[in-house]
Amino acid sequence: MSDTAAAHEAPTSTGIDHKKLIMWLFLASDCMFFGTLISTHLLYRKLFPAGFTDAEGHQRFIQDLFSIELTSFSTFILLMSSFLMALAVSAMHKGQVKSFRRNVLGVIVFGLIFLGCQVFEFTHFYHKGLTIQNSVLGSTFYVLTGTHGTHVAIGVLWLILLYFYSFTGKLGGHMGALDVEVAGLYWHFVDIVWIIIFTAVYLVEYLGPYGIWGSGLPAVVK
Amino acid sequence: MSSSHEAAPSKAFLAEEVRRYHHFIVLALWLAVVTGAEIVLIYLPLPTAVIFTILTLMSAGKFFAVIMWFMHLIYDKRLLFWCFLAGLVLAFATFAAMLALFSADRIDTRWFS
Repeated sequence: MSDTAAAHEAPTSTGIDHKKLIMWLFLASDCMFFGTLISTHLLYRKLFPAGFTDAEGHQRFIQDLFSIELTSFSTFILLMSSFLMALAVSAMHKGQVKSFRRNVLGVIVFGLIFLGCQVFEFTHFYHKGLTIQNSVLGSTFYVLTGTHGTHVAIGVLWLILLYFYSFTGKLGGHMGALDVEVAGLYWHFVDIVWIIIFTAVYLVEYLGPYGIWGSGLPAVVK
Repeated sequence: MSSSHEAAPSKAFLAEEVRRYHHFIVLALWLAVVTGAEIVLIYLPLPTAVIFTILTLMSAGKFFAVIMWFMHLIYDKRLLFWCFLAGLVLAFATFAAMLALFSADRIDTRWFS
């Protein structure tokens, strides 16, 4: 632990502010939650590598639907929003509320762009025939990415509230900085979950002609 | 919320924040470069197992870089790191257990339909 952290040691038995400790414990439990969702998606992709059947009865592969450009763009957006969030937290620690507002506004805009990309992607997939009901792939994909999107939406809402709250003049001092730091922890968590989803759900589908799960396909499907 | 008449941050604290600010910029650039490299990697004519291993390592690197620097674990108390690691280990153990239970070669998927 650094000297600075020691200087701000909380008057608790652990030396950690309760809000921060509770947030870390929540994130640990959310880790298990997303761990289960990601595991379920990966295992069902292995069990059902053939993708899905569209409304016309044609066999479709997930690789036909994915757009690496769109997913990469939304990944960059989320990573950069995490950077801006770190700057917003740093600004609050320094007592620079105006800088905090600028950075958090950037995070909100980036979060909304990410959500817009996800809505576009879901709409595109739906029109191409992948629904939550017509295949195991659809069920696990929409539940996993939809849950992550819900987390992003909650984060955006939280940051919007913090942004407007900062105008009341009550978001100051150590406790104000702590409130922003806790919101920042949540936002960074959303980012790290996407780092895993980006690789485990999207990128692996580009490995080999039928994705990493293609070896499990019967010859007739290939 | 707190009152606004708390003591102003000390010089040492501000210097530390400036140092962190530079870390954040370097990390953001590093994350962008690694993500770009991941996208290039999937198109390289390398064995799938090699690409998969590199992708996994890159993702793990990005994951831990964000939790250590952006989430301040490197600056904070160790207890927070262990709390989070406990959740992470349980998540990974769940995956390993499910992988063992649903060993794909022994599952008849007709059972699901």
